[in-house]
Amino acid sequence: MSSYAPVIALFAIGVAVFAGALLVNRLLRPTHSTPDKLTTYECGVDPVGEGWAQSQVRYYVFTYLYVVFAVDAVFLFPWATVFARPGYGMTTLVEMFVFLGVIALGIVYAWRKRVLTWT
Amino acid sequence: MTTTSATHAASHVASHAATASPHAATAVQAIDYAAIAPPLALALTACAVLLLDAFLPHSSRSSHGPSVRGALGFTALAGVIAAGALLVAQAVHGGTLSTFCVPEPAACSYVVDHITLVFGGLTLVAGVVVILMSMGQLSDGDIPVGEWYFLLLCALIGAITLPASRDLVMLVVALELVSLPVFALTALRRYDGRASEAAVKLFLVSVVSTAITLFGISLLYGASGTLHLSHIAGGLAKSPIPEAHGVVTAAVMLVIAGFAFKVAAVPFHSWAADVYQGASVPVAALLSVISKAAGFAGLILVLAVTRPLYSEVWVPVVAVLAALTMTIGNLLAMRQRHAVRLLAWSSVAQSGYILAPLGVGPEGAGAAVVYLVFYAAMNLGAFAVAMLVARGGSLADYRGLVFRRPAAALALAFFLVCLAGLPPGLAGLFAKVAVFRELVDGGVGWLAVVMAVNTVIGLYYYVTWAAALFTPAPAPVEAREAPAVRLAPVAVGVAVSVVITVVFSVAPQVVFDAGLLSALG
Repeated sequence: MSSYAPVIALFAIGVAVFAGALLVNRLLRPTHSTPDKLTTYECGVDPVGEGWAQSQVRYYVFTYLYVVFAVDAVFLFPWATVFARPGYGMTTLVEMFVFLGVIALGIVYAWRKRVLTWT
Repeated sequence: MTTTSATHAASHVASHAATASPHAATAVQAIDYAAIAPPLALALTACAVLLLDAFLPHSSRSSHGPSVRGALGFTALAGVIAAGALLVAQAVHGGTLSTFCVPEPAACSYVVDHITLVFGGLTLVAGVVVILMSMGQLSDGDIPVGEWYFLLLCALIGAITLPASRDLVMLVVALELVSLPVFALTALRRYDGRASEAAVKLFLVSVVSTAITLFGISLLYGASGTLHLSHIAGGLAKSPIPEAHGVVTAAVMLVIAGFAFKVAAVPFHSWAADVYQGASVPVAALLSVISKAAGFAGLILVLAVTRPLYSEVWVPVVAVLAALTMTIGNLLAMRQRHAVRLLAWSSVAQSGYILAPLGVGPEGAGAAVVYLVFYAAMNLGAFAVAMLVARGGSLADYRGLVFRRPAAALALAFFLVCLAGLPPGLAGLFAKVAVFRELVDGGVGWLAVVMAVNTVIGLYYYVTWAAALFTPAPAPVEAREAPAVRLAPVAVGVAVSVVITVVFSVAPQVVFDAGLLSALG
């Protein structure tokens, strides 16, 4: 348990530095607030609408399809570094294309279900 | 595939170490296709169902006509039966098939032995009945058919891969493959608030339980330095961590808690009734039989079959869990007025009976498997009749059923009597005797007493329901009949369950032999 003492000390120092800086800042700065200053900052433009904005639910499906490709890439990168080495060869190549075929099945399905058309 | 893989399999059996296979020279792991044939057949069927759904003509924008719905159903059914045939071929071939092996130290991730065959057979037969029930459920066209069968087949792949998994990663992946499709299946009854609620509850419970299991598994891996179940005990013996005992105790408790969520054991049971009621009846049957069997397969694999781990720590905990599960499940079931909710709590109580033999020690796993097989047959039958009669419905709908639909009423009465463990339903009686014998022989008398009391409590609600079937209804309740759905497949499903349960009642030795052999690993 004693081996955790430095971790706890470091954590305490971190909190002290962070809280201390904010506290000093608050004590030193002048505060003259106006309604304009208190509005939400939105890149300099006047804020529009509520914080709870809705987005089009159809983006969700595209995000999903993107995730399919992203996961795909996670497996492709390590494969690409080894498949040409001795001892791997044709089997490895075919295995990856079987995997890609399964992924492609999902895309074909999405296409046939008219997910890819926006309107 | 058949001839080459058969010779391939023979060579593997000859050298069980499997590392001496001719492919060991290459860096590519050899795959024994004979070993993975059943899940492979299901996977190909799942892809075929998805493609058929995408390319067959639609009758409207989102739904298929009756003929296409039937075609997809029969494709799925054919796939499950083909997988079953391959499983039977594996059983007839005998011996142990293993694949996905690593050479040093020799271990395999996928092993087909007795426990794999017993759980695989249970899953596939239950899968056939669930698909038959689905054909009734899907016949009104509210639910997308292709997605339904695809997800169902994926869950079945997970459930037959799980008992074959012999490393921790494979085990978690298979368990997730059982769980993930079931959320979607539950939610597929769109525009129904209860179904969405059930899906969200199931999702949250399942994700939490997976997180807990994974935490336990990572501790186990950290302490033992190996993922293969057969090497964990050895790895722990020479663990470099000085206080490994505490870590492993925590790990085993976390793994038990994670699986206890999956099998709805008390104190992780609260989701059961809402989810079973919200999901459509075939999904509830899937959850209570296939998903539960998968949870128990994982628990038995980790705790009992492959080198029992820290049994002095987990045995008393499991015994207490079993006692609580059967008692609380039964007490909650007594208060239910809805058929599926009653079956949900009764299946929680039955989980307690399945857990009980593990409260004796690792050697109780055989009796647990025996009870699970009997339970699966009876419970599936009860769900199938509930689907046939009223798509669930309240218990009042079942009054006087024998006068309206004698065959369905007699089948339901038979399953209820089996679940209660009374003499005409010998299957349930034999199952309970197997557990009692294990408990008494193992010297856990108190648990046997708790179970005896619980059997009496269970008698109350099972027999009340069974008696209601034979009580004349006070007023005509024909109006409450289920909406027009295609019930012929569901009736076939009921018939399959009845035949299996009757066979188990007449020749229980089949189950005893299979179950007790499976415990030997």
